[in-house]
Amino acid sequence: MTEFLNLLINGVIEGLVVALPALAMTLVMGVNRFPNAATGDFMTAGAYATIGLQLAGVPSLVLAALIGALAIAATSAASYFLIFRKLARQPMVASLLAAIGLGFLIRSLISLFAGHDQRTFQLPLMRAWNFNGVRILPTDLAIAGVALACLAVVFILLYKTSFGRQLRAVADSPDLARASGIRARGLLISLWLLVGALSSVGGVLLGMKAVVMPDLGWEHLIPAFAAMVLGGIGSPVGAVVGAVLLCVAQELSVPFLGASYKLVLAFGVLAIALLIRPAGLFGRIELVR
Amino acid sequence: MDRRSFVKLSAAAAAVQLLPSLSFAQEGGTFRIGALTPITGAGSPYGPGMQQAIRLAVDEVNAAGGVAGMKLELITEDSQTKPDAAVLAAKKLIEVNKVQAILGTWSSGVTLAVMPLTDAAGIIEMNVSGAPAISTLDTKDLVWRFQATNDRFGAAFAEICTKRGFKRPATMAFNNASGLGNVNGFKKAWEARGNKVVAEVVYEPNRPSYRSELQKVLDAKPDVIVTGSYLPDSTIILREWFQAGAENKWIMPGWAAGPDLVKALGNEVCEGVISVETVSNEGSDAYKAFDAAYTKAMGRSAGSNIYAAMAYDMVISLALAIEAAGAKADIATINGKIREVSNPPGDAVYSFASGKAALAAKKKINYEGASSKLDFDKFGDTTPDFGVFVIEKGQLVRRDVVSIAAAV
Repeated sequence: MTEFLNLLINGVIEGLVVALPALAMTLVMGVNRFPNAATGDFMTAGAYATIGLQLAGVPSLVLAALIGALAIAATSAASYFLIFRKLARQPMVASLLAAIGLGFLIRSLISLFAGHDQRTFQLPLMRAWNFNGVRILPTDLAIAGVALACLAVVFILLYKTSFGRQLRAVADSPDLARASGIRARGLLISLWLLVGALSSVGGVLLGMKAVVMPDLGWEHLIPAFAAMVLGGIGSPVGAVVGAVLLCVAQELSVPFLGASYKLVLAFGVLAIALLIRPAGLFGRIELVR
Repeated sequence: MDRRSFVKLSAAAAAVQLLPSLSFAQEGGTFRIGALTPITGAGSPYGPGMQQAIRLAVDEVNAAGGVAGMKLELITEDSQTKPDAAVLAAKKLIEVNKVQAILGTWSSGVTLAVMPLTDAAGIIEMNVSGAPAISTLDTKDLVWRFQATNDRFGAAFAEICTKRGFKRPATMAFNNASGLGNVNGFKKAWEARGNKVVAEVVYEPNRPSYRSELQKVLDAKPDVIVTGSYLPDSTIILREWFQAGAENKWIMPGWAAGPDLVKALGNEVCEGVISVETVSNEGSDAYKAFDAAYTKAMGRSAGSNIYAAMAYDMVISLALAIEAAGAKADIATINGKIREVSNPPGDAVYSFASGKAALAAKKKINYEGASSKLDFDKFGDTTPDFGVFVIEKGQLVRRDVVSIAAAV
């Protein structure tokens, strides 16, 4: 039982970290209608920006991560304004390829300036709290807390503000939204600011758990992508639930399958779920327009 | 095909015809060596130094009047530590530069990808990779290994466990040829002594956390965990292990547990971690001469890059073999001489110049290298000695040297 609980905790924490990029991707997918393959590299850039700020003498990790998130939000919005806005009328593949290219560019620039060696945040290490064998790491708790706070902020923005209402209107039907007087440009810039900041924080959380290297985010793009598909493309709730489900399934499989088949199991879960619900857990079957 | 491209193609074909055919070594010609080291990628801390060491050796050989009347010519490429990139680079070295030997492949994945190409071309391949499979897949005996196999690293781990009195070892392996080779070699040697391994885990690369894997191992209450791992995964595992508050010791390969691990985690976490790395042949004249030249060229001692001395030895042993084979010898003959000039019996020589002089005097020689005694077994593998380093207050302190009998 304690073993099961430990595995469950590991899975939930990992899931919450994966949820951030999954949510960022699903938002772009819902509104701009293309999978943003540069999401992982925005994460990496956020982690490196934070490391850089720490090296430059910013005393607290939280402050450095916040400044980093602002910088990546600006980068993300700029990438929309300069690249993806111009490709909006093109087929989806054009934007997807542009995003892959942008990801390569970000990775190469990071390697050029920061090198290939691993880096770590300046972070005090604390011993785990032990509840009869169920171990909780203080760092993990902080990571989960930050991830939940970010998710809460995004959901409040989406469902409780006029920004969110307008965004959902544009996602549902761009033409109708335009006819109702919604100005898409400012709205989309705000959206890209949001996904940039979200990816950046996700990258920092991932870097706190793992080590920061130039392909940190790129390597974690596929799990986030799978979480998005499992939850239903374009469904924010689905992205979060999908991420947690996939990671929990992965960790719980360790005693049965061994650690090397974790990933396979995650994709098994994805395949079965999609057989039962082809549009994902919370998705709607989209009409081909 | 339209006419225009046909004309272009035939012009290109004609141009190729005009290139001098250089498939065999000629008197007064050159012997071409391709250096294929990891300048970028995971091997980038070592690749540039290896390339420099090869260059130093080539210059030394040419300064001593060359080999069998030929000059050595060096062409360098970057393997990027990626098998696919390395294959492209090797193809270019073989087909365009017409090299007769490829030296310095570092990662096992790269060596295993390049071997079929060098074998097909019938040229010599020299590497510092650890995967045991390289020994058995090398059917033509053209592949030479200057580093201990992962298997023998594992055997060294078992020796250290016995020496330090550990009773309940567990293993954690990165899921690739190198990581699995380490722990399988350990298990084989450990069980041959009538002992048991209490838990084994194989884990995947690029995971944000290894808590579940670690938990599985710690549940068996090991007194030491033996790993086949790399730096990034070791960093994550040790960080989580420390926070979980377990008390066991660690035995890790040197490429995972070095100064960078201490830099990432701090002194307290790494205290007592045992790091095992092959050590150069430090007592030999070959090493002293190489160390001086390397320090002058790189601004760091040869001790900072264990693979540099191996790369240097590749060129010297190859050059002595060419010298022994004589002018106009083909690659197969040269390849056949590599053991002859490196292994006992014979007069011990410590540099190319002295080896060349001894060969000219019709003596049998035994080159004692900068990296090891350089005695090749039937697989073309050498086994350097292993240094046992313990991390104490953030410093790697050498506590012991272990030798493994070559015949496994």
